[in-house]
Amino acid sequence: MSGLRRRLRPLFIPALAVLSAFLVGSIFLVLTDLKNIALLPTDPVHAVTNAFGDVLNAYRALLQGAFGDPARFATAMQTGTPKAWATAFRPISETLLAATPLIFTGLAIAVSFRSGVFNIGGDGQFVLGALGATIVALALRGAPAPVTLVAALIGGIVFGAAWGFIPGFLKARTGAHEVITTIMLNYVALQIVQLSLRTDFLRQSSSSQPISKVLDFVRVPLLIPLTGLRLHWGFVVALLVAVLVSWFMFKTTKGFELRSAGLNLTAARYAGMSAGGSIILAMAVSGALAGLGGAFQVMGTVTQMSNDVNSGYGWTAIALALLGGTRPGGVVAAALLFGALNNGGHGMQVETSIPLDLLVFIQALVIMFVAAPNLVRMIYRLKPKGSEPGAPAEEGAAA
Amino acid sequence: MTAAATPVDVILPQASEAERRALRFARVRGIIFAALGLIAFLFASNTMDTQATFKFWLNASGGSELSISASAGVLWILAGVITGATGIYQLTRGAGVRWRRWLALMLPFWIAATVGTLLAGKPAVLTQVFAGSLEYAFPISMGAFAAMICERSGMLNIAIEGKFLIGACAGSVAASMTGWVIAGPIVGMILGALVGLLMAWLAIEHKVDQIISGTVVNFGALGITNFIYLRILQLNTDLNTPPTIETVQIPVLSQIPVIGPILFSGTPYLYLAIVVMFALTYMLFRTRWGLRLRASGEYPQAAGTVGVDVIRIRYRAMMLAGAIAGLAGSYLSLHSAGSFQMNMSAGKGFIAIAAMIFGGWNPIGAFGAALVFGFSDATQALLSSLGVDVPPQLLTSVPYLVTIVVVAGLVGRVRGPAMAGVPYEQG
Repeated sequence: MSGLRRRLRPLFIPALAVLSAFLVGSIFLVLTDLKNIALLPTDPVHAVTNAFGDVLNAYRALLQGAFGDPARFATAMQTGTPKAWATAFRPISETLLAATPLIFTGLAIAVSFRSGVFNIGGDGQFVLGALGATIVALALRGAPAPVTLVAALIGGIVFGAAWGFIPGFLKARTGAHEVITTIMLNYVALQIVQLSLRTDFLRQSSSSQPISKVLDFVRVPLLIPLTGLRLHWGFVVALLVAVLVSWFMFKTTKGFELRSAGLNLTAARYAGMSAGGSIILAMAVSGALAGLGGAFQVMGTVTQMSNDVNSGYGWTAIALALLGGTRPGGVVAAALLFGALNNGGHGMQVETSIPLDLLVFIQALVIMFVAAPNLVRMIYRLKPKGSEPGAPAEEGAAA
Repeated sequence: MTAAATPVDVILPQASEAERRALRFARVRGIIFAALGLIAFLFASNTMDTQATFKFWLNASGGSELSISASAGVLWILAGVITGATGIYQLTRGAGVRWRRWLALMLPFWIAATVGTLLAGKPAVLTQVFAGSLEYAFPISMGAFAAMICERSGMLNIAIEGKFLIGACAGSVAASMTGWVIAGPIVGMILGALVGLLMAWLAIEHKVDQIISGTVVNFGALGITNFIYLRILQLNTDLNTPPTIETVQIPVLSQIPVIGPILFSGTPYLYLAIVVMFALTYMLFRTRWGLRLRASGEYPQAAGTVGVDVIRIRYRAMMLAGAIAGLAGSYLSLHSAGSFQMNMSAGKGFIAIAAMIFGGWNPIGAFGAALVFGFSDATQALLSSLGVDVPPQLLTSVPYLVTIVVVAGLVGRVRGPAMAGVPYEQG
């Protein structure tokens, strides 16, 4: 029993953080409902019950959007047709699909945090990875599909790693603060993508929008061959990559060096490790992971390169890395949670017309509460604890 | 006599690391400048026949104009001579040369020659370009001032973007509801200061990393303003139709030819930015408050030892910065667009941080940097309005690339406050 409690303890603060974020989110939901507020002076009882009902309804729609409707599962059990099963499983499939890019970027940021560098450039590395995959795929058009697919994935890794290498190199060689350079490189990456989408090589000539040719010839294979389920093998690869990252960071010498650099750069340097090398390696690995995520996104989920291929995955990843305690397993769990939130948010938006952006706000609150565990302890009157296991690497160098 | 005439820039073994580095950079700069000079001459040979015409308005209405014409080739030759000479000077005289002044001298020629060539004979009205640069510079410079106050006090503030959005959204709603324009900036300031307070509380009280708390605010502000726009403002458009801030012609000064229409016919916001720039320069470097603020950012332990309340200074700096950023945010919805739109700051908060760094953590420098960024934006608008097919992405990237180059120390090193972002334990 006590063993179980010890195992569950690290989950305690994150769980309370998510709960608190949802509570604050529901306060905003109530405050922005002008109809109920107008009703308040004349009919306070109805106004309050309506407000409660709306919040519960919204979160119910969120859950159903994320995990599926029990009624649909019941139908599927009775009829047993593949179509009914597909309908029942579609929300879960979409949740896992939404989690896939988040796992990649979350792992990317977690690796950088563990190594003591603040990679805020996940966005740029992600879109350039997608761009790299698109370029390679179009260049190898006509080659056997598996070859093209693998080459394009490597292209994504290389582009992402290069975009992570630049700030790493600048930090190691000139001391340029990586937070500033990665933020700037995010914007440069967007401009590069737009510029590339002007070229005839990439551009879909029939479209007036800056969007690439369709990459249907290198689709990442679907995981479950049922119509309506879009989940592809990228998700499985994401899980394997998480295992790989875990092995690399915790079982190899290089990983040990990276973690030492993250804990205390000066000590690592005195122990004979190359501080500059660690920074560059951490940023390049981080960029490569984000780039691979971009490659899977463009060839598995959206099939066309455009600026919309990324929707803030690099920024969300910061939340994921923190929420998951910068451990690969934790990051995967956090990514699944956020994938469920994003996907469930769509369901909520469709059913209750509450804007999806509420979840962006809730995600920001989750970061805040996770980053300030004492705040959570204060709210719920928990006993303060000396140190937080798995807390993010301390980093606070001057810009 | 083998080692007789030793060139000045030979790296001597006893030279310190910093000196070697300076010499290395000076050589690289010299080679780059010399090469650029040659490139300018190559351009000149093809553009001797192209007339570059630049026009200035003589009064605010644009009735009469001052027109200046020159051959684009001549401009290229001038750019080439200055650049090449600087390069050769760098190579022969080493690191001690004040090359940044030469850079400032050569840049206008490069820009004039490039724009003149691209326009291929079409006249360009520069009054609009310069006025546009100033307009763009307002939010950027105010955001830079805000970030600067924080960093000078020892706090990192990457949440300028989020405060812009909050100021824009709240400002539009407040001005629409009351019908008074002035309510917008005031509410923007109040909310900005509150967000600054929240960030300071998280960072100081709860030891949240300041980059994380900044991310929380940026992310949260984007989510909440989008949410409010979609849930309330889109359906109740009367809450998002604020009265707009009119331009003010300063008497007498706005009548000066050429300068008047550029400098003295702007919005009150613009004049405010200039006032804040001078006030902040004075306050930072000439008052007790400024000395204590800077001490908190450079060496808080020392400041604390002599009795300065570092924590209180940092709280106040964050609130002041929040107010400035919120005020600047209200400009976005009350002036430029006339209503709040989703994500309307579009990265300006990050360019503001870039301007702060480019300006060397100095108000006048930051304003200058904001003008440079504004100029690249306005030039892009000019070129596309005249139908010149230049990918706008190239010019849009300029502020970001310049910032990377500056923080990497490739073009002159700038150094920020030593302890920005490091938590301080009051003993």
